[in-house]
Formats: sequence, structure tokens, C-alpha cells
Amino acid sequence: MWRLAIKQLTYEWSRSLLTALAISAAIAMILVLRGFEQGLYAQSENVVLDRGGDLFLTQSGVSNFLAVRSSLPQLTRSEVEAIKGVKTAHPLTGFWAIYGPQGNKFPLLLLVYDTKGGPTHLIEGEPIRSSRDIVIDIGLSKRFNLKPGEPLVVSDFEFTVSGITSGSSALFSTFAYVSYDGMIDLFLESEIAPDISTFPLLSFLLVELDEGMDQASIAQQIEEAVPVVDVFQPGTLANNDKALGKELFGPIMNVLVILSYIIGMLVIGMIIYSDVSLRRRSFAVMKALGFKLSHIAKGILIHSMIIVLLAYPIGVFLAHMTSMGIEFNMPVYLVQVLEPFGLLKVLIGVLAMMIIGSLLPLRLITKTDPVLAFQVE
Amino acid sequence: MLKWILKTLWGQKGSVFSSASGVAFAFILVVIMEAAFVGESNQIVSYIRHVNADVWVMQKGVSNMHMATTFVWDWKAKRIAELPGVKKATPILYVNTALKSGGRNWFAYVIGLMPNDARAGPWSMAYGKSHPGQGEIVLPHVLAKMTDAKLGDTAMIADKKFEIAGFSNETFSMANSIAFVNFHDLEELISTSGTVSFILVDIESGLDKQSVAKLIEQQVEKVSAIPHEQFIKNDFQIAMLMGVEVVSFMSIIGSILAALIIAFTAYSQVSRRKRELAIAKALGYQNRSLYLAVLMQTLIITGLALIVAILISIFLLPLLTTLVPQITLVVTTTALIRLCMIAVFVAVLAALVPARIIANIDPLTAFRS
Repeated sequence: MWRLAIKQLTYEWSRSLLTALAISAAIAMILVLRGFEQGLYAQSENVVLDRGGDLFLTQSGVSNFLAVRSSLPQLTRSEVEAIKGVKTAHPLTGFWAIYGPQGNKFPLLLLVYDTKGGPTHLIEGEPIRSSRDIVIDIGLSKRFNLKPGEPLVVSDFEFTVSGITSGSSALFSTFAYVSYDGMIDLFLESEIAPDISTFPLLSFLLVELDEGMDQASIAQQIEEAVPVVDVFQPGTLANNDKALGKELFGPIMNVLVILSYIIGMLVIGMIIYSDVSLRRRSFAVMKALGFKLSHIAKGILIHSMIIVLLAYPIGVFLAHMTSMGIEFNMPVYLVQVLEPFGLLKVLIGVLAMMIIGSLLPLRLITKTDPVLAFQVE
Repeated sequence: MLKWILKTLWGQKGSVFSSASGVAFAFILVVIMEAAFVGESNQIVSYIRHVNADVWVMQKGVSNMHMATTFVWDWKAKRIAELPGVKKATPILYVNTALKSGGRNWFAYVIGLMPNDARAGPWSMAYGKSHPGQGEIVLPHVLAKMTDAKLGDTAMIADKKFEIAGFSNETFSMANSIAFVNFHDLEELISTSGTVSFILVDIESGLDKQSVAKLIEQQVEKVSAIPHEQFIKNDFQIAMLMGVEVVSFMSIIGSILAALIIAFTAYSQVSRRKRELAIAKALGYQNRSLYLAVLMQTLIITGLALIVAILISIFLLPLLTTLVPQITLVVTTTALIRLCMIAVFVAVLAALVPARIIANIDPLTAFRS
């Protein structure tokens, strides 16, 4: 049965190639959509994990980093640093601004840091050295064609792009990094608000512990000594943001992924159906020779499986190329195609689709009369 | 030739149907992403559209509400209310943050409403109070459906607890649901005093919104005053721009897939009918006519797929929101027109694949046994 299937495939190689290509395109589409969804969640996680630190402190009751308002009293930092085992507490805050000319405006999260929590993947230019410096994400740089040394105006205040970083995008938006001095200058010079205390000047604290200290016990000590904060291990806070991302994008992404599986099933079903109807005469011969329907079905399954298994690596390759293209041209997005669990899940899904697709033309074979084998074409 | 094409397609009904369905779903994939973005963008401007203030006043330099931060002194609301042509000036506080309700976290626009002033509050209620008192919150009704939250339950913003006092209609969105709280509660929550975020200005009837907006900017320092329609446009544009790239690449992926499916079907049809095509060539049909026949085939399959996709988009996609209430899908005429253009392009592209076979067919094969 295997030999017959392989012979069928090599007999008309150009048709087999087109078949494999059509199936691999369907597989690539599923992988890209899944990769896009996973990328959205991974970005939400990475934004927290990239900040560094052993512990992450938020306003009590706030359990996310992204798109939340967290405000800590100014004295919190010294209170936390007074706890034994805490080496340093690095301040962090942020606020949203809208950047760009009329008709092409884009939300930008200005992440304000002092000694830790700044950009971690600088790919061009220099880190922040003065209050006018700003480090922007590659997504923003590409969108507005901004290069190091060029001005970036937010609320009438002119920053200079000192560097470009990667991996600082999440939730369809990009981040830009400024220093605390930069933020104060922006507030005062641009008169951005009547009273700068309306902005949370301290939103989070990134805590570094003395060497060998136990994260959990220090976290407990901080929560007891400083009740205005909630303490998180970075991984936990990252998971919370990932969960929030899932809450936000999960429903629509699930619809799209389900839709892509339906398309995949229809594509595979169509290809197998078309192939079976082409080979009706061969099946009639097999029936005339006494082959049972189950044997023929097994043959179709083997044939389909070979095509799907050939198409799968091509699909992965196409998806990977597509993801690289998307990430290069639109760096705001991350498309995680080569994730082992996701690849396995899609392979299982595709094999399931193949089985369903192979069963669809069985009716056609049942109806095929063995007499057809003896008729002149 | 048309008869032959139709006969060929009818002879392979199963394959044509399956192919057209595959292409239709690929087209729906193109439509659905844009529909989701348009739907979500519509929801994002839902508050602005429904409260329908003639002019929106905010901090200078700010020109939208979505993901924006704005603070102006509260006395400016009084100053604006005294300007000629202004009927009413309603201040609100606003913050964009996450709220917890029914054991889940949601992004929300939290609007702080002045006590005893319903002007900026919810426009349609499912049930409960429409105006939150101190310590109370009004949430979107969709949240109640999804989480079994009830009146009297607790919702949290940061560490502040609110009692759910009402559920409003048309206020849910994936990215920014709208929650209404008391002005002073929100003041306390964001540690501010003496400032407001936006001032909703209603003007005397018959006056031009643009002129009043200009007057406000002239008379009150450091504010931006934007007429209603422009303000909606600004927010809608930002929301749509955030998704424009995703919509584009989804269109490209969907189109490539559709082209491959049709190309495969056309290729199968042509390679199966090689002998018939050879007879046609022997009878004097030129390659051009045969190419046209194949193009006609791909156009018919694409047309079928397009009809199915449009019917599903118009009649079935709106039902999807009943099954998944978090999603708002809006299929626009522009999206459908664009889909038709993509379909024509896809059909032409797909017809190129079997063209090689046609060119290589030898008319002599018609006379071979």
C-alpha cells in the first residue's frame, strides 16, 4: 500500500508539488495565526521580564504592569530600602502619550526609569545620557522613519532619539524610554498638566536583593512593613499580564484560529477528494481485484499522510519566512512560529484534519462500480 | 466554450464546492480581521458618540480620548460655562486602567461623574442605577453575562472596592469597556484634586461648533477644544491605525491561500481535461481562447466563493457576537468592495498556473488512442 501511494505521488510530480504547496500554505496560515496570538502574549510577558530586578512592587491591589494606573507614595522607596536584605529599590513610572502627525497618530507608552528598568535590547545608537534623550522601539522607528540623533516631539517638548531598542512593544503599541529628569523637564517645560502631582511619579519599584536572600521571605517582609504595596516575583506579574492579554485578544484570536483550521480541513478535503475522483478507475480496478473498502480507505489515508507530512515542514518553513517578513516590516508585532508545543499542536490538528478530509471521498469510492475498470476510456 | 466550462465544473461538483468553500473561508478570514478592528474602533468611540457633547475640551496638545492622559484645572469648566453660546459645561475625570470584576481583569475607561449630574453618564441601562453614588460603580452588561456578576457584588480598581450599582448597555469593548464611578471616588483613586480630565460642552442651538471651539481656545488658556465630529474621527483613526498592519497582512495571507486553492482546482480540472483541450486545439481554438476559458473557470469558482463569503459576512458574522459577546464585528461596504477586488486579482493569479499545461498541449494527442 505504501509503495502504491509513493508511486502515485511521483507519477505526476508537478501536481504532487502543487498539492503539497496548497496544503503547506494552509498549514503556514494556521501557524502564523497561532504564532501571532502567542507573540501577543509573549510580548506582554517580556515587557515585565525585561525590566529586571528580583521583585516587582506595585500599588496595593494592582496586579498588572501593562496599561494600569499604579501610584506609590514617594517615601515607599526609602521604606523598602530600609528592609534588611533589600539592596536597592529602583523607581519606575510611565504614562501614555499620542505621537505623530494628524492622521497618523500612534499611542506611545513613555516608560520612565532611573537606575534600572530601561531598554535592554539596544540595537542602534546610545543609551540615555541626558534629560533630552529618548530611546525608542524599532516599531516606532520604522513607522515614523526615526533615526538616532533625530528629534521626537511629545506635547511640544523636543526629545532627541539617542537609541533604538527592540522587543519593547506590546498590545499593538510601542514603548519609549526616558529618564526621570526627562519626565520632569517634559512636565514643567511643556506645561503638560496644571499640577504634575496628578501624574503618578512613582508607579512601580524594581527591587534588587542582597546576594543569597530568599525572594519569598523578603517579599513577605516588604508586604508586612509597607502595606501600600503588593509584591510580585517578576514571573508572576508577567503571567498576570499574559492572562490579561489572553482576556483581551483570546476571543478574536480563537475565532481566527478555528477559522484557519476549517480552511485547512476544507483544503485537505478538497485535495483528497479531487485526487480520489481522478483515480476512480484505479479504485475500480482494486475493487474488481477484490480489495475491501477498508483497504482502499487505508491506501487513501497513507497517501494523504505522506502528502501532509511532506507539506508540514514546507508549511513550517513558509510560516517562519512569513513571520520574519512581518517582524522585519512591522516590528510592533512578534510572531512566534517556532514554538515546539505550538508546532506539535498544529501537527496533531493537521493530522486530524487529514483523517476527516480522507473520509470525505469514501462515498465516492463506495459508489464506484468495479465494471468501470473494464470500460474503454 | 462557456458551455464546456460549465459542463466541466458541473462534472466535478464536489471538488468545485469544496474549493469554493475553502476560498470563501479564506475570504472570511480577510473580512473578519478588519470587521473586528472596525467593530472595536466603533466601540472605542461609543462613549464620545453617545454622550454627544458639541465640543470636547481637554489639556492643550491632546486631541483624543483613547489611551490619552489629560488634566485641566476645574475652574476652567466654570469659565467655559460662562462663555457666550455655551449652554452647559460638564467636567468628567477619566482614567484608563484595569478593573477586576467577576474574578477577571478588564481594561476599562473609568469615567468619574459629578454627583447629581447625569449628563455624562450611561445612555442606556440594562438594569440598576445609572448614576453611581459614592463607593458605587456602573459596569457594562456584557460583563454580567460573562462573569455572572450581580448588583451588589464587588468590583475593584487598584485597592479600592466598589459596589456594583448598575449595568449599562453598549459600553463593552475588548480593549476599553466603560465603567462609571463617582467623581470624588476617582479623584481619591488617582490622588488628584482640583483637576478634571475633559469638559463636555453643550452649545446653544443654531451656533457653529467650530466657532465655539475657537472661542474657548481663545478665552481659556492652555486647552484644546475639539468639535464632536472631529473628536470622534481622531479616536477612530488612532484605533484603526493600530490595526491597519494586521489587517493588511491578514489580507495578504488570505489572498495567497485563496489563489493557491483556486490554482489547484483549475490545475486539476485542466490536467483532467487534457484530451478535450487537445481536441479543441485540433479544431482550431487558439491558446488565447483556452486561457480565457481557464480564466473563466477560476472567475466562476472565485465568484461562487465571493457570494458565499459575502452572505456569511452579512448574515452569519453578526450572530457570532451572540456566541462570543466580547467581540464586536462590523462589516463595512468598503471591506466588501475591497474583497471583490482581491477576488478578481486572486482569480487572475490562479489562472496563470494551468496556463503552462495549455501551452504545452499537443493537438496530436487528440488523435492518439
